[in-house]
Amino acid sequence: MSQTQIPTVPLRTPEVVMRLSRLGSFHQSRLSFMRILIRRMRREEWQFSRPEFTIDRRGVGHAVYCAHTPDRTYSLIAFAHDLPANQRSDRVIAQAWDSTFTLFDGVPNEDDIERLRQNIPLQEAGRVSGRELSVSRANRSVRLWEEVVACLAKGVQPEAEAIAKVGYLMRTTAVYGSGKLGAADREMIADRPEFAAPFQVEMLSVFLTRTYVRDLVQHMANMRGGETSAVLDPKIARSMGIGNSTGLGMAPFLLNHPKLINNWVSARETAIARVRAIRTAKSKDITSFLELFNRSMLSVDLWQSEHPVQVGKLELLRNDMNALSGYINAYDFGASQPWDSLYLWAEDALGQDAQECLASLMLEPYGELVDDLELQMSDSDAAMFSIDGTMRVAELRSQLAQTYDWALSIDWTQKEYSARAWYVSEEKLEPRLGERFEEPIADYEQPLAPGRDAAALHQALQDWSDDATLAEFLLAHPEHRHTARRAQIVARAPYSEIRDNTIGSDLMPIDMLRCKLSFFGATHFDPRSDRWVRICLFGNAPYPEELHSHGGDDWPYPPMDVSA
Amino acid sequence: MSNSLNEIDALVKRATRGAGLSWGMAEEAGKAVRWLASHQFSGATALANLLDEIDGREMRELAPASLEGSWAAPKGMLCPLASGAALNDCASKLVEGAAIEMTNVCQPMLMAPFAAWAALQIGAVVEVAWQDMCLQSDGYSLWVGDPKGQVGATSADALSCRRVTGRSEYLKPPAHRRQVDATTWARLNVYAQRTYAPATEASRMLGAGAGVSDND
Repeated sequence: MSQTQIPTVPLRTPEVVMRLSRLGSFHQSRLSFMRILIRRMRREEWQFSRPEFTIDRRGVGHAVYCAHTPDRTYSLIAFAHDLPANQRSDRVIAQAWDSTFTLFDGVPNEDDIERLRQNIPLQEAGRVSGRELSVSRANRSVRLWEEVVACLAKGVQPEAEAIAKVGYLMRTTAVYGSGKLGAADREMIADRPEFAAPFQVEMLSVFLTRTYVRDLVQHMANMRGGETSAVLDPKIARSMGIGNSTGLGMAPFLLNHPKLINNWVSARETAIARVRAIRTAKSKDITSFLELFNRSMLSVDLWQSEHPVQVGKLELLRNDMNALSGYINAYDFGASQPWDSLYLWAEDALGQDAQECLASLMLEPYGELVDDLELQMSDSDAAMFSIDGTMRVAELRSQLAQTYDWALSIDWTQKEYSARAWYVSEEKLEPRLGERFEEPIADYEQPLAPGRDAAALHQALQDWSDDATLAEFLLAHPEHRHTARRAQIVARAPYSEIRDNTIGSDLMPIDMLRCKLSFFGATHFDPRSDRWVRICLFGNAPYPEELHSHGGDDWPYPPMDVSA
Repeated sequence: MSNSLNEIDALVKRATRGAGLSWGMAEEAGKAVRWLASHQFSGATALANLLDEIDGREMRELAPASLEGSWAAPKGMLCPLASGAALNDCASKLVEGAAIEMTNVCQPMLMAPFAAWAALQIGAVVEVAWQDMCLQSDGYSLWVGDPKGQVGATSADALSCRRVTGRSEYLKPPAHRRQVDATTWARLNVYAQRTYAPATEASRMLGAGAGVSDND
């Protein structure tokens, strides 16, 4: 039996991919968690209902939104509050919010809602049960909220330009899942197919939150304007996503879940390699790519930020996208392995942001070829936690030299390379980053500097014979246990470790945030500082009632007539 | 209201670190108590008791002096986290007919999860026994024989781990929730607090990198 040989392209190596500057240039793709959720909702024809919406003139009350899968119902319970402006903060240390939410497993009865009314508005100070899958909150974009309410109340539509400037009416400031505050652990629900992919609970919660926010702004406008109020144009509504304001909590996540991060990155890298290996591009695939490329150019144009670093990145990205556009116009897609050649050109000619944008775009026409990779993005391999103590010191040494070569060549006694320390504040346990040599924080340092720690482990191994076992070494040196475990994980999961210094004076934590958020499917990263970023989720996505009638899987790319 | 296993894990990890153990050991402690909680054991209380005993002490005083022969600390009691981690690291020693013996183990209940993970590594059922009781696990599920209620013993003069043959149908699968009593939670929190940096104005302003208005 003869088989046609399938061409292969090697995966991009971890040394190329797992650098902070590249992780900080990632773009959403078909494998982003919002995309996975919406594909499933469509495929399984989920139904939606709003059994309760009891909110008064001041905007205080509650609402329930249900998502009905073929087998189960999940309900977002939203509590609406009247928040004084001086209490509006996106920080973890905030104590009150415009709206607070929980995703409930099933349909809540009156007792459930009363129990949750006592707890959800308190967020971290409240308690929930195993029936609750997530806890979250959101604050208004004050200016846009007022503008939209005022316009609709006057009977006119808000200006698309004003909307595009912000992109959302409310932004979530934390979405807790996986057992936080007493909620259900992921393990409780991981065997349900709808939650098999990562962060599906959180994405569903945000998807329903967006619908609530649209309904609430309409409700407030109707209260103010009465019968002559306008109904928000569905096209404008669709252009709005849910904002998200994210601080340092997300950066430790990347380091604390090495196997999970490996699975995300490895799925996307495998997808990229599969597409680059395609020998001949069909004309329908080329057409689809070109259309999304143009819409992607528009998305980059709409992307706003005032942060100097991001302003610089955006300028480079726009220039690169223009260069790419010019190159594509003259490009011969009929050549053999056209995607590979295109990517290789970009790798040489463009910055990392545009390279990653192109890499994600190339996947778009090939859902049938790459979407199955979503099944590999979770982490259920508990055995990974155990250390193989039979490993010999010589083997560990060479493993360290291979994976952490960049770290072994750093002089960690130099202040600039260990200038920072990650710590947790006693204030609501907010994760923070401080200056090790200027603040009294070193004693509280979290283990978030794998490079430095690997170098220390390598040093400690110097005195041990090649034949000694890791079990013996760790018995004498339990302080290296954490790092030995990481070194063994990265040997099996090559994309699990960031190949850069995470405590240097030049660290930009937003690079780590962007990596994670891009896998959520976020767009329009807008850093507010080096460790704080706002983004938009579900912008241009269909609303529940449009899921089965409007648009395709390419919803993250704005329609060409958005500004028309 | 009951606790999620993740929040038990997270608190125990911080508390163990707060008592001076390494991060790697603290990770093991979190997972160990989580495992015990999933089998409805008060591992959190056992751990709080252990931390009271070993707070601030050097791990080498508490860990097996050697992995040859019977495992014992250089003097005094053996820490179940140190010996448990070591048991895991050399799970392959648990061959047919060869038991690993330990003496003077503090809070022996905490050995059970490590024996279970060893079972996972070697793909067999592993038994851990002290006094009149024994626990058997394949890593996931558990069988308990405890006629005299000794699972919560504060110490075991002699403890053994060995591979056992037999079927695993009688093992009981874990649950997803566990109530940790308020006293234990508060005791663990005292240790966990030591890992949190005190709140200062400078830290509040700079550490999270926010500080711009959120009223926009």
